[in-house]
Amino acid sequence: MKTAKYISSGGEIRMRPRLAHMGLMAILAGAACAQGAEPLPAQVIAAPPAPGPAAGLADSAGLRSTVFGTPPKDMAPMPTRVPLSEINIALSWARPVPDVFWFDRKLRVWFSPQDKPAPLAIVISGTGSDGNTSKLSVLRGALYGAGYHVLTMPSPTFPGFIVSTSSTGVAGDLMQDGQDLYAAMQQIIAHLPRKVKITDIDVIGYSLGGANAAIVKSIDGKMGKLKIHRAVMINPPVSLFASVGRLDKLFAISIGSDDDAVDRLYRRLYAELANLYRASDRLQMDEDFLLGAAAAVLKTDAEFSAAIALSFRTDLANMFFAGDLYAGTGVVVDPKNPPKVDDSLAQIQRELRNKPFSEYFTRVFAPYYLQHRRNSTAASLVADNRLDIIGDTLRTDGDYYVQTNSNDLILDRRELAWLKDTLGSRIAVYDHGGHLGNIGERQQVADMLDMLAGRWAGASR
Amino acid sequence: MKSRILATAMIFLGGCASQEMSIRSQPPENPAAENAAAAESAAAFAAAATAAADTNVAAATNTDGANGNAGGNAASAAAPAGGAAQPAEGAGQAPPPVTPADAPSMRTYDPWERLNRFTYRFNARFDEAFFLPVANGYRRIPSPVRSGVHNFFGNLSEVDSVINYTLQGRFKFGVRSLGRFIVNSTVGIGGLFDVAKKLNLPGAPTGLSTTLAKWGMHPGPYLVIPLLGPSTLRDGLGFVGDYATSYAVDVAKLYRGDLSWGLGAVDAVDQRANVNFRYYSSGSPFEYENIRFLYVRKTLIEDEGLRAKTAKKGDKSTTQQENETDAPAGK
Repeated sequence: MKTAKYISSGGEIRMRPRLAHMGLMAILAGAACAQGAEPLPAQVIAAPPAPGPAAGLADSAGLRSTVFGTPPKDMAPMPTRVPLSEINIALSWARPVPDVFWFDRKLRVWFSPQDKPAPLAIVISGTGSDGNTSKLSVLRGALYGAGYHVLTMPSPTFPGFIVSTSSTGVAGDLMQDGQDLYAAMQQIIAHLPRKVKITDIDVIGYSLGGANAAIVKSIDGKMGKLKIHRAVMINPPVSLFASVGRLDKLFAISIGSDDDAVDRLYRRLYAELANLYRASDRLQMDEDFLLGAAAAVLKTDAEFSAAIALSFRTDLANMFFAGDLYAGTGVVVDPKNPPKVDDSLAQIQRELRNKPFSEYFTRVFAPYYLQHRRNSTAASLVADNRLDIIGDTLRTDGDYYVQTNSNDLILDRRELAWLKDTLGSRIAVYDHGGHLGNIGERQQVADMLDMLAGRWAGASR
Repeated sequence: MKSRILATAMIFLGGCASQEMSIRSQPPENPAAENAAAAESAAAFAAAATAAADTNVAAATNTDGANGNAGGNAASAAAPAGGAAQPAEGAGQAPPPVTPADAPSMRTYDPWERLNRFTYRFNARFDEAFFLPVANGYRRIPSPVRSGVHNFFGNLSEVDSVINYTLQGRFKFGVRSLGRFIVNSTVGIGGLFDVAKKLNLPGAPTGLSTTLAKWGMHPGPYLVIPLLGPSTLRDGLGFVGDYATSYAVDVAKLYRGDLSWGLGAVDAVDQRANVNFRYYSSGSPFEYENIRFLYVRKTLIEDEGLRAKTAKKGDKSTTQQENETDAPAGK
């Protein structure tokens, strides 16, 4: 809050969180290339997709879309005003809250009610993200404008969810996370104000949230507690671990996998930002400066890749820490002497910077689930985290839909082909957007609304 | 009677305690307006990107030694044309460009970490329970009114800026702040309207912390100030000094009169409402570390800029020295 004076110095009251986030993230990427020292193997990432490339199907444009998102000029029309309430709920099955997570005791979701009877759209966030991201905000606007009550929820891999809602504390298992999500949805809906009249329920999710949404609907198909009507998956993974493996590889290629990689990235970025700032006529490192600097430092595929990889690694560190703490696997947290509320976590954070997802899988996730799930093997755990565990349902039930992009970095050709084959006429594949880079675009929104209303006529249009 | 009140209170409190779910209304979102604003920024951003690309082509033809300069051009071109130009400062002999080796360690000097963490937690609770709800209520007030309030307090702070620019020896800025204060206090009706900005005199507030930086003081240890939040020792001193200055000057008797507490509170709420930050919305166990890292890096880079921009001929403020001063941070 000390920065208040500086940030608001322009007298500008309206905020642009989306741009601020974009700017910061973009800046973080910049270091990968500064000063032309040590050229990075950009061609590796830019290369056309071969089976299992570093960045899936991504091309240069896909990487840029992934970082910058939908250009504002291409955005679907949005309502002028969307009411918003924040819901905090304590769930009865929650596990004891560790000291260091005192602030995550309750599940926090956001709700935008219509003032007349309406269908409810539940939207689930992507890996590591909370229930009020800028992407959720865009989807909320589009859905609210189309007459839905909108409930936005965090990803089961978000620390706030892991602590308040997960029944294991070890996130990333599709079925387990789906069951926790489903239980939480029931609790939330049961507690909504009586004046909110719900006529129908649909689920939507982006990225990992897309897979979560489909699983939730399939669970509901058996349990029937919510009678979820349709599910739309936006840029879902097909195999969770293959997709995150691509992001790990992206990190190794664009940032490096040795102990000093992140430090090198930071030093380059610091130097480049300092030089840009010194040469600018700005008096503070304000948002406008950061936007301008992002334009100056983000240029090559390697830089965009670094931004994407770093953002994922940051989310992974949270999940890794929580999982290790709950499962007692002792990778970075001493199970006998867990950190207390005022203890420094800097050392743990430094260790986690260099730990890829594969290490989370082998040292936290697999040990925990092998112990708690009978007859499971490492291979079966991987197989359990593929969308084809509900493949038959996806193939035969006409209420599941997919929107994805032909240059999405979390998919490879085989997986995209599997999606097309399984969903048939219920998949829209756009030729641009990378991973989530066209959320809110006119066509994406129009198609999503058609899918939800059951009037989607196929991709032929 | 007494027992009835007690019973009501008990039921009320008990009800609160067993509350498993709370619904709190937030300020509505305005996606249409936000999109329009974002489109504007994006256009500026695209222009900046093109400009940066152009200068980089030029830079590529230059030798390594000129690299810092070329980057500089890119930056000034890259800065979107949002604000009017700031007065040019006599950067007679700019220090050599910052190299990756000059960057301070990623570790931050934080000898009071336990106390800081405690304060951070206290601030988070205070913010959640009191400050943020009030600020959110304030955000419902029509935006022209809030602009007026914001401009009013901004205008008052110009007095402190004039003094500090003078202490920093940056007289062009000092004169401009003075000009802003005079124009906005009169034509701008006591500071409610930022007329000066429309006259190509955008605000450029400064404070004692910047003056101390100009005089060569290092930011010092990281410090979380109760209610105020992330800071450094120097920024903390600066805050106290700025308040003392305002108190001493006492413009229009606003700082010592009966109204001073109320005005201070409105100022605080206005500032809070303009900061889009919420404690622990990251959900991350490392939030303290992350905020600390970003805050101190921002301060250090701004110091680099201050040194370079106000460097006089013969001034030997090199980044190498800077790095040595940072030694404790690398501990």
